[in-house]
Parts: sequence; C-alpha cells; structure tokens
Amino acid sequence: MEARHRPAKLLVSIFLIWSFLVNPISSLSVTVNDVECVYEYVLYEGDTVSGNYVVVDHDIFWSSDHPGIDFTVTSPAGNSVHTQKGTSGDKFEFKAPRSGMYKFCFHNPYSTPETVSFYIHVGHIPNEHDLAKDEHLDPINVKIAELREALESVTSEQKYLKARDTRHRHTNESTRKRVIYYTLAEYLLLACVSSLQVFYIRRLFSKSVAYNRV
Amino acid sequence: MAGRSDERMGAVGFLALICLIACAQVGEAIWLTIPSSGTKCISEEIRSGVIVLADYYIVDDEQGHIGTSTISARVTSPYGNNLHHNENVTHGQFAFTTTEAGNYVACFWINGHRQEGVGLKIGVDWKIGVAAKDWESVAKKEKIEGVELELTKLEGAIEAIHSNLIYLKDREAEMREVSETTNARVAWFSIMSLGVCIVVSILQLWYLRIYFQKKKLI
Repeated sequence: MEARHRPAKLLVSIFLIWSFLVNPISSLSVTVNDVECVYEYVLYEGDTVSGNYVVVDHDIFWSSDHPGIDFTVTSPAGNSVHTQKGTSGDKFEFKAPRSGMYKFCFHNPYSTPETVSFYIHVGHIPNEHDLAKDEHLDPINVKIAELREALESVTSEQKYLKARDTRHRHTNESTRKRVIYYTLAEYLLLACVSSLQVFYIRRLFSKSVAYNRV
Repeated sequence: MAGRSDERMGAVGFLALICLIACAQVGEAIWLTIPSSGTKCISEEIRSGVIVLADYYIVDDEQGHIGTSTISARVTSPYGNNLHHNENVTHGQFAFTTTEAGNYVACFWINGHRQEGVGLKIGVDWKIGVAAKDWESVAKKEKIEGVELELTKLEGAIEAIHSNLIYLKDREAEMREVSETTNARVAWFSIMSLGVCIVVSILQLWYLRIYFQKKKLI
C-alpha cells in the first residue's frame, strides 16, 4: 500500500504545479449500440465540467421516429449529476461536487447503432486558496486562466456547431440520394405498372379467355 | 512467495506511475471500456493538414492483473490506408499529419482470451491541431517563459478558432450548394413525373386503341 501512495502523492504535486495547464481533448465520435461510457478525471472539487454531444450519423429510415439518445453523468460517489433524455444532441455544464473519475454515459434505446460526437472539457480556475498554497501563482495567472476558459468556451461552441453541421450534411446527402433514386424508381415503376395494365387488358380480350366466358 | 508478490506490487506501482506521469505530462485523457470480444472504435472528422497526436494505455484490468492483458490498435485514414498498427502492447502512441479530409478511425481490441462480459479500461489521449503543439520546444527556441508563454498559447488558440471558423464557413457554403441543387431537383423531378405519367397514359390508350382496332372490336 505504501509503495502505491508515493507515486500518487508525486502525481498530485505534479498536477498541482501544472494545474492551470489543463489541456482540452478533441471532439471524438463513438458508436453507441446500447450503452457507451466515457470516463474523465476531474482534479479539483468545484471545477466546471462543460461539453456537448451530437448524434451525428444514424441509419434510421424515418429519422423523426427515433426518440434520441439518453445522456447521464455519474459522479465518483455513484449519484447522477446530470441527466438528459431523448435528445439528438445538447450542451451541458455543471460544477463538479467532488474530484474523481466521472462517468459520461450514452444510452441508445433502439437497436440501430448511432454515432455520437462528444466533447468534454474540465476547466479549472485557480482561486485564492490555490494562490495562497503555491507562491509561483500570480493574480495574473488567475486572469490568464479565466481568459483561457473563455476561449475554451468559444472552442467548445465551435465543436458543437461543427458536429451539428456534420449531422446536417448527412441529412442533406441522404435527401439528395433519395431524390435521385426514388424518382428514377418511381418512373420505372410507373412504366412497368402501365405495361402490366396493357398486358392484362389484352389478356382479357384474348380469344381463349373470351370463349370460356359464358 | 512474499518476495514475488512484493516485486509484483513494485512493478505494478512502477507501471501505474509511468502511466500516470505520462498522463500528467500529456494532459487530459478519456478512458474507454473495451468489450471482452469485439472492437471499440473512436473516430473524428478531421480536415487535411492537421497534426494528430495520440497516446493510448491500459488503465485498469477489472480482474486486477494489469500485467497480463494486451491490446491492439489500428488507425485508418478515410480512404482506408493503415496509418498505425500495433499488436499485443500495453501502451503505444501514434502521430501523423492528415493528408485527406474525412473520418479518421482508431480501433482497439483485446488480445487473447477473456472472460465473457469482462471489459478492459484503456486511456486514450487524443489531441489534434493546436492542442498537439509542443510548447516546450517553442519556449526553448523563442526563449519565452511564464506569462509570455501563456499568452502565446492563447494566441495559438485564437488562431485555431479563426481558421476553424473559416473552415466551417466553407463547409456551410458547400452544403448550401447541395441544398439548393436538391431543391431545384425536387421541383424539376416532380413536374417531370407528372409529364411521365401523362405520356405513359397516352401511350397506353394509343396502344389499346390500335389493338382493339386490329381485333375489330371498335
């Protein structure tokens, strides 16, 4: 147990020194068949966890019938911090009640797989308590951290827009293909049905059938 | 027996330390659960000319023996080219610059036999664009540090926002073209279907008239 605590203490001190150098992650997409969970570590209690998710690609024929994806965030204590049911994408933001590993789960109530593009960001702004603890931190570092968080929110909004644009593009492509193929199929079917009609009428008037009618 | 388990604990602790320090130096990472059978894939749509830097490692084996499981990883470009392939490792990394715009997929799967339903947690640290930039080398080269370095990072972030915005605008323009073409096609094809309907019914009637005249029914 002792051997395990020492690396953890070293890690915590490293994180404390570089606490305001937290880097964002990219907006990744994952395919949700039933339940997909992503874990993210929150370093400090009171950190703002923000992010968004968009259902990007789905093979459902009648897309308006799909109820959407359920999204839950579970804290390390096991209770649900944030829930969103039946949407095709949303933004979220909450203050972490405690530090630890948070679980972000997507649940797909239907059997067709959905691709969800998500982005999670944990933002920390050093407060007076951190300033007092570490003499390397100036008040200017606090302002820089606030600036960085503001830029992060712009980037986060951009990623959300990009994911929504991707979803829109898939719908557009699908509409374009449907227009072409369904119209061609419609014309061919029309021609087939009318020739079948003609053959049937011909058959009605053919001698072999007419003589059997009394 | 006791000596062996001590050594094992030491090795496990060392490996955990390496993993955690790698995590600290590289930044945040998300953890995923790989199912016991099958692959877990993550993807991202990236435009061309962007640096992608990623790191993956086994975090936790739910059965407790971190040293015995290995994973494999494969990264494919949108056109199907294999960018990175690693088998039977506990951690790895890959870096590349995108040449094609599209969906880049990274897939992970567990090697060897596992119990049904017991997954494996891996950590993936995936960074693209400005987040993948090596600020230490920039700081050394330009000899900047402290507040100036922080502000340079912010400047990089703002430039990335700007170029992303321009990219989104271009994409929206392309999509608008497609929308407008589809709109025009819907109108044109609907009118044409009416035309096809009328033409086909005229052909039908004309053919039936000739047929009945031949059969001397009219």
